[in-house]
Amino acid sequence: MRGVSGRRGLSFEPIPVLVMGLTLAILVLFIIFPLGKVVLGSFLPKDAPFALKSLTLDNFSQFFSSRLYRGAFVNTLVVGLLCVLFSCLLGIPMAWFLAKTEMPGKTIFLSLGTLPLILPPFIGAYSWVLLFGRQGMITQALKHAFGLKLPDIYGAPGVIVAMTLSYFPFVFLLTYGALLSADPHIEESAEIMGASRFRLMRTVTLPLVIPAILAAALTVFIRAVGNFGVPAMLGGNYYVLPTLIYFQVTGYFDLNAAGAISLVNVALVGVAIFLSQRLTANRSYVTIGSTTQAARSSGSRLLKWAGVAFCSLVILVSLLPHITVIFTSFTEGWAGMGLPKRFSLANYARVFEMARAPILNSLLLSAVATAAASVVGTLLAYISVRRALRFRWVLDLTVMLPFILPGIIVGVAILTGFSSGPVVLSGTLAILIIGYFIRRMPYVFRSTTASLAQIDRAMEDASAVTGASWTHTFRRVTLPLMAPGILAGAVISFSTLMGELSTTVMLYSARWKTITVAIMEYLFSSTIGPAYALGTILIVLVLAAILLANKILGRSMAQMFRMV
Amino acid sequence: MERGGATALKVRDLTKTFHGKAETVAALAGVSLSVREGELFTLLGPSGCGKTTTLRCVAGFEKPSSGGIDFHGRDFTALPPYRRNIGMVFQSYALFPHLSVFENVAYGLKVRKADSGTIQKKVEDILRLVGLEGAGRRKPGELSGGQQQRIALARALVYGPELLLLDEPLSNLDAKLRVYMREEIRRIQQQAGVTTVYVTHDQEEALSISDRIAVMHGGLVSQIGTPDGIYENPANMDVAEFIGQANFLPCRIRRDGASLSMVFPSGEEVVPDGLPPAIGSFQGTEGTLFLRPKHLSVRAGSGRQNSLRGKVSVILFLGTQVRYFVDLFSGPSRKEIMVDEERRLADVREGDEVSVTLRWDGARMFPPKERA
Repeated sequence: MRGVSGRRGLSFEPIPVLVMGLTLAILVLFIIFPLGKVVLGSFLPKDAPFALKSLTLDNFSQFFSSRLYRGAFVNTLVVGLLCVLFSCLLGIPMAWFLAKTEMPGKTIFLSLGTLPLILPPFIGAYSWVLLFGRQGMITQALKHAFGLKLPDIYGAPGVIVAMTLSYFPFVFLLTYGALLSADPHIEESAEIMGASRFRLMRTVTLPLVIPAILAAALTVFIRAVGNFGVPAMLGGNYYVLPTLIYFQVTGYFDLNAAGAISLVNVALVGVAIFLSQRLTANRSYVTIGSTTQAARSSGSRLLKWAGVAFCSLVILVSLLPHITVIFTSFTEGWAGMGLPKRFSLANYARVFEMARAPILNSLLLSAVATAAASVVGTLLAYISVRRALRFRWVLDLTVMLPFILPGIIVGVAILTGFSSGPVVLSGTLAILIIGYFIRRMPYVFRSTTASLAQIDRAMEDASAVTGASWTHTFRRVTLPLMAPGILAGAVISFSTLMGELSTTVMLYSARWKTITVAIMEYLFSSTIGPAYALGTILIVLVLAAILLANKILGRSMAQMFRMV
Repeated sequence: MERGGATALKVRDLTKTFHGKAETVAALAGVSLSVREGELFTLLGPSGCGKTTTLRCVAGFEKPSSGGIDFHGRDFTALPPYRRNIGMVFQSYALFPHLSVFENVAYGLKVRKADSGTIQKKVEDILRLVGLEGAGRRKPGELSGGQQQRIALARALVYGPELLLLDEPLSNLDAKLRVYMREEIRRIQQQAGVTTVYVTHDQEEALSISDRIAVMHGGLVSQIGTPDGIYENPANMDVAEFIGQANFLPCRIRRDGASLSMVFPSGEEVVPDGLPPAIGSFQGTEGTLFLRPKHLSVRAGSGRQNSLRGKVSVILFLGTQVRYFVDLFSGPSRKEIMVDEERRLADVREGDEVSVTLRWDGARMFPPKERA
């Protein structure tokens, strides 16, 4: 009966109603208002105030008339699709080896395989220049040893390689989870009926995990077409939509043009979501629970060692940029040519002298935004799950929008919303906090929703029936039970905010620079040592936060990331 | 069994409509009942009959669409759950996993701002009553299903609620424990002397534990009565079908002056010994004869007088009785009935033709079911 229940009976207290109203007001002010302004602005000429007669499609017709625009559109699509393809080529076999063979070192591979998701992609990106650029270490070595000439790292190849190596863990983790949770009896029954190993894989194993692969592919695509940092570092003249947006805003201060490009970028994401839903619609499998849940794995020695070799290679290559960052940060005056002559802490000394403010700013910003996202995200999750609103999907969609939207577009929206009009915040710390807050609120919202959905409603009823008010029940029962979900969401928010670049580049000011902006500026001015010292500090801070949370929650890194 | 106590809880013509996405469901279509002081009153019925919705309205988790609830003469209807001073045991127990057993039980006392000495004493007392003294430091997750059940009961009773609600409390236990725990619940409820409303879909549980039962069907109360009364004298076919095992034989009454006989679809005619009142008072001519398996008996050979002919299909040994499944020769459609004998008959085997005789003191007659 509860399933049909439209509205939950009795709300007596003013407090929940007040909390609900405030929380929803935050959604309207910080998400709906700025995004609405972007949509409106994209139909207006530069800096024009809103008037019906000034509405125009000029910002969009650029996509037909300008080669730069057209190129950026095509490039974005190509980068997105190839990233998906290559991520699957790396992620699916890795998942299969870990789930289906008895290869050694599974725990380590699982943890290391998650690392690229946590480490900000743009920091590693520049390492590809050090390794494979014209003067790069490996380029030079190959040239001297074999006379081989590598293609230019700037442009499409570098962008696609760097993104693939950052995003393939999505495919790997989701496929791995699906492979593990598939009922082994299904495979066994196929074998009993005489299916060979290859046939089994083709007709049973793969089809069962296809929904998971599709979901992962969608995530990779969304991330790839929205990534700003990597094409900013490695793109050169190869423009994609996010770098084009940046160009319009920082080069021409044309927020309305940037808004139009943003809408096209969002449309790309929308089409991808639509297509993947169409594909998944006919593929929902209901499996009936079985008592044996351990997946069967192959003990074949050949497969075992092939698995170790494959996974080691993928992980080594994907972590190579970050290893390069850390290594380089301890060298002096070395930019990838030949072998470094001196190792020292000089870069760190310099960074602590010159870039103390960005480090502290990032810590402060991330902490404040995480706290805000945790409080509001938790309340929104509670409202969404427990209040049985008729328009729940509107609420969920609004909260999740900043998660689906590329970071730079969230930046454009917040900048558009709060750089003119009733509330002007540009150049302040507040505008950065707002941007960070709404971008990470979905993380807390999702992980809290998941943990709340598992809490038996009867727990809260049981508390109410003993005489406890809503506030008492929320504080003593609901909140403690949600705590692990909140904490997991908060940690992921904090650690990814530390490395946030794409929203930041739209909102930072000379007064409020973050650690990521400082790294970007150092790299653009080829000050590699200090850039990488900062990068190393960032990596250490991020890992420390994650490890601490693992300790507290007793959950592995892979588990935490599968949830978000 | 029946108690003469004053009415404690009165449910007045309760209706509840749920508005789903596509359809509107009437979960309660006008439920009225009253529960007496100190009584264990059971709402019994199949899933979807409205018993849980009724209970949730009494608890205050659902707001009735119309009708009202009075408790001790006070109108409860608009009161939130936390102002009703009731205790409730949930199907899933709903023990707080982050609190110890002691803290779980003490929860309602703390809400009532009892001092720590009182809390300590009351929790210990109630844990003793449910037979779990010394379990206070453990977490609910470390306890077995039956123990969790007792803790849930202790938590609901410790602050002395005026009304105890139990929502299918035994459905998560295995069969043996279920039988044991229903005795326990009855014992504890009696000792606490608290007015109790108990919801279950298990008719055996309801019959064994209750002072009185309301059998519900399709959002309405079909019958209210003591367990024996409902079992022996079901008010209609719905109740008869739901409570216990029964045979339903379509038949026609032929009245010939003072004498009366029953004609079955096979054409066989049976004259009841004496005139059972339940049939004598039956008005129509067409109907359905209701007989418990114990009200029938099987004899070898198919030629007996005043009996129905049939063929034994299956014999099951059930411990206290032996059940014979007999296919009646009842015209075109096959009709299988159940007959209970105290012990196995030496001369009747599966496949044998038999005569089935009827014991009329347990027989009831219902009007034919309306066909939709």
